[in-house]
Amino acid sequence: MRNPSVISPLMQKLLADYQAERGSDFDDYDDLVNREGQVRARWQPLVEELDELGLEGLQQRSIEAQNLLYENGVTFNVYEDDVRKMRSWQLDPIPYVISPQSWAMLEGGMRQRARLLEILVEDLYGERRVIRDGVLPPELVYSHPGWLFPAADSGNLYERPRVILQGMDVMRNHQGEWRVLGDWTQAPSGVGYSLENRIVLSRALSRLYRDAPLSRLAGFLQAYHRCLAELAPAQRENPNIVLLTPGPGSSGYFEHAWLANYMNFSLVEGGDLVVRDGHVAMRTLGGLKRVDVIVRQITDPWCDPLELRGDSLLGVPGLVQAARRGEVAIANTLGVGVLEHPALAAFLPGLCQYLLNEPLLLSGRDVLWCGQPDYCQSVLSDLNHWQLREVHDVNQVLVPAQMDVPEREALRRSIEAGPHLYVAEQPLQPASTPSFDLKTGKVSPQPVNLRFFALADPSERADEGGAPKHRIMPGGLAWVAQPGTAIMDSQMVKDIWVLSPVAQPHVSLLQRAKGPILVTRDGMDLPSRVAESLFWIGRYGERLDNRSRLMREALTSLVEEGQSELEETLLPDLFSALKLTLPEEEASQTESVVRSDASVSVHQFMQLRNVLLGQFSEEESDALPWLFSSLLRNCRAVRDHLGDDAWRTINTLRQTFNSLPSIQGANAGQRSLEDIVTLLAAFFGLSNETMPHHFGWRFMDIGRITERCIASLELLQLAMITAQKPGTDLWETVLASTDNLTVYRRRYRSQLYPAAILDLLLFDETNPRSVGYMLKRLETQIQHLPHPDTSPFRSQEARLIIQATSHLHLVDLDTLLDLESSAESQAALGDLLDQLLTPLNALSDAVSHSHFTHAETPKQLVSLQGVF
Amino acid sequence: MKYQLRHTTRYDYSSPVSLSHNEARLLLRDLPWQHCSNTRLIIKPAPLRQHERKDFFGNRVVYFAIADIHESLEVTVLSKVTTQARPQPDVNSMAWEQAVQSLAPGTVQFDAADNEENLAARLYTLNSPFIRRSEALRDFAQAHFTPGRSLVEAVLAMNCSIFEEFTYDQEFSTLATPLDEVLENRKGVCQDFAHLAIGALRSIGLAARYVSGYLETLPPPGQEKLLGADASHAWLSVYLPGWGWFDIDPTNGNQPNERYLTLAWGRDYADVTPLKGVMNGGGAHELEVAVDVLPI
Repeated sequence: MRNPSVISPLMQKLLADYQAERGSDFDDYDDLVNREGQVRARWQPLVEELDELGLEGLQQRSIEAQNLLYENGVTFNVYEDDVRKMRSWQLDPIPYVISPQSWAMLEGGMRQRARLLEILVEDLYGERRVIRDGVLPPELVYSHPGWLFPAADSGNLYERPRVILQGMDVMRNHQGEWRVLGDWTQAPSGVGYSLENRIVLSRALSRLYRDAPLSRLAGFLQAYHRCLAELAPAQRENPNIVLLTPGPGSSGYFEHAWLANYMNFSLVEGGDLVVRDGHVAMRTLGGLKRVDVIVRQITDPWCDPLELRGDSLLGVPGLVQAARRGEVAIANTLGVGVLEHPALAAFLPGLCQYLLNEPLLLSGRDVLWCGQPDYCQSVLSDLNHWQLREVHDVNQVLVPAQMDVPEREALRRSIEAGPHLYVAEQPLQPASTPSFDLKTGKVSPQPVNLRFFALADPSERADEGGAPKHRIMPGGLAWVAQPGTAIMDSQMVKDIWVLSPVAQPHVSLLQRAKGPILVTRDGMDLPSRVAESLFWIGRYGERLDNRSRLMREALTSLVEEGQSELEETLLPDLFSALKLTLPEEEASQTESVVRSDASVSVHQFMQLRNVLLGQFSEEESDALPWLFSSLLRNCRAVRDHLGDDAWRTINTLRQTFNSLPSIQGANAGQRSLEDIVTLLAAFFGLSNETMPHHFGWRFMDIGRITERCIASLELLQLAMITAQKPGTDLWETVLASTDNLTVYRRRYRSQLYPAAILDLLLFDETNPRSVGYMLKRLETQIQHLPHPDTSPFRSQEARLIIQATSHLHLVDLDTLLDLESSAESQAALGDLLDQLLTPLNALSDAVSHSHFTHAETPKQLVSLQGVF
Repeated sequence: MKYQLRHTTRYDYSSPVSLSHNEARLLLRDLPWQHCSNTRLIIKPAPLRQHERKDFFGNRVVYFAIADIHESLEVTVLSKVTTQARPQPDVNSMAWEQAVQSLAPGTVQFDAADNEENLAARLYTLNSPFIRRSEALRDFAQAHFTPGRSLVEAVLAMNCSIFEEFTYDQEFSTLATPLDEVLENRKGVCQDFAHLAIGALRSIGLAARYVSGYLETLPPPGQEKLLGADASHAWLSVYLPGWGWFDIDPTNGNQPNERYLTLAWGRDYADVTPLKGVMNGGGAHELEVAVDVLPI
């Protein structure tokens, strides 16, 4: 190890600034420097590496890491399905460093805690000795929302650990002591985020990570997978493991999709599952497929509307009974939420003695449970001195000192009415740890929260008490914020380095598919809901593309001829293609007398421009932002089925759409529309390249082609029949907006003739943009869809395609030749287009009817409206 | 007394049900003063799956799932029930404040065995899905729970006063009539009166639980008893520390006797719902219930 004095002057300055920022609290514990102002031993190697990298290097790498994180779509949204509210974190390039000695102590403490909680919850839902013997007050347990009476029934067949994966929040206080702040036992989040952080940072700071003597995370998720597989009823081989998510609207959805993808589980929502004949099955294209293990990311009360909250639409009716009978394993088991009770901290030392007969190794938070009359008295007598939390909403910290008098008195009354529902705490004083701020380029001391993960291994039993053996992930997720702040409320996350005493070989969990992630479960196992979302991705994506192209043509026309007489331009026709109404002609013919011609035309130009640019921020359906958010919603719902590269283009599109509303000029608008068209092409291109050409891909393609076909036909209807200003200019625009102009020129090398255009757009089966080609493609795709029943008859959708195709093939071409002058030709074309549009418009419903889930939302026989 | 119990619940749906999961709490408990035999549960259409278990409160629960398409569901319970007189507490055993004291958290008043029962009873001092403790309920109780009064005496006095001051009115009540409305309008059905009494007792720190069951009704003098005329009934149980659970029936202002059959108990109605289910399809439904408690 080098002498610190070798450190460069720059690093010395950084350290000096860091010290200066710590201010006068030199006695308080800091992770980086000791009381004498020297860098602690565990940080030495890292400081030297960072020194070598230099400030600029660090900044650059930090930006790179940030971009990687963003491109990979690491986001969360707080229960709002709104594009603009999705956030992502900053990733601090400086990790949180833990020495081997500290880790040995922490690991031992967390193992004991996990074992204690496991034995406790087994007792609570079994014999309840801790209550009968007065170790844990009954009010504490029974009033907690995580306590489930149905899970305490007799006749349970649970013989396995109840908490498989658990999260523990830990901090170091200003005296340098470790404290556990709380436990996450139902559906702990953060494993995916911490692995993603590690992956991104080791890519951006590859040298640093390659050489660092830090414990690797690779084995942990593998072990997690093995543990889950072992839970399968009757130890089935290759068990079907699914990850049950509340859906794309939930805050942790990114992580759910990430985990499902990484671990190769099907990502399902409540509606994808059904309990039939006692066991749980997944609705797939190929029918019901049995599920063995459910990794649930839904909190306890919402999992089963029969036995738990009746108003839950997220859960699966009958799930509790299926689990009770051992027909399906749920990880973590239902009912473990009671372990998240904030007042449990006060009783854990006693429980540890009682249940394990040993002292609690890791201290928790100092809390007073107001359910104990003495404590309640001391809290009420000096309310301003405390912070409180209510057990039903533990994230909400109540600070009486900051309340006005009526508020405080209301709180007092509420505590008096239900003292057992409150815990009182002192604010925590955290230690500080270095954090790099990309904007200022400074390293400053910040408070940090740490989340660690414990895994119960059902195959290994610890000696004492038969409790499962626990494994602690040597790393985790750190976030910069005052202690006790929720992860989602933080701005900056960090990797956690657990230094190992010996150098560790670099095991490559990080060799995560760098190329496209191939989807392996895309055959008959594909959940029907996923097929449906892919179909709508195709439809919305294509509609967005078509509309963006038309908008582009409209803006072009506006720029070129927007100040001419309106009737002389293509704008009325383009507006009707876009289904937009032209701005009212200035109500006053009289007024125009006063105005000069020039000002009238400028006025008209502005009006038209405002209508068109208004489409960039309109919320109404079929405006661009609405189409995009529909596309995005469906993409998010199948996040685990889209390749990383395809997902990156979606993220870039999202950026483009975020800036759309601020666009002022027509030219800027054109450029953005071109970006959208290009990005959409990239998205579908990448999807075509990376998705296996199986059912999922077919549904997406059917959606896309159906939409495109309808759009082409409608455009032809306008250009050839209903246009106000038919003729070469409009035809050219039609060709341009369907991307056919170049093909036309090359093939016909001539002026535009309606008959030639019709040939190119309708009949030419070699032109991918022609209706003939598209019908053929639809036919092939539909032929390859699964047939749920082995009916000898053609499906409805196949018949619709045949109907359209035969109209196209049987039309008498001669009747269409004289479009420009003959009304009969126009009428014949009009009939043909109608005959094509009718079956195509019916196609979407037919596909949906044959293949997608139509399970009605289950409903209650008797609806109970009590407060659960 | 000996009874033949018959309880039929029938749902007719307006559109077919393709799958339903149900829970029935329709099988009577065995108690020191109540014995059941020849009990049968008949479900039409026949369920694909059916399992019985005991819930947290010791009630018998039957889970059943029907996977055939059906347009009606009929559940019938048949049972022979023998009842005997119940033990009676000593009216002057303890002042009500003493009972509250022994149920309060952080106090140990009795020897170990009693203490364990007190601990178990504390669950029934807490709020439950349909019953929230309130100042209005406390005020209502305190009219009867005057300082130093005997617990049993005060309980019986409140029981009588609900019977005398409240009107039985089937039109007024829904499944979930809030307690303050019942209190304000002085109207309700047996379930509301039981909830009301429980809420009042809990609001002053006592433990009380909800009991569901049946009551043999007697025809007006000189008339034949009509079949299907009996009904499900509900009352409550108060915890007397050191003695046990003591039943009262505020709807009739009396103490349940041999003519009462106990089905199930819990914190409130939500814990003992006789039949609940979640189904796919079904549309609207019509409900028919027929209960016979025939002496044999």
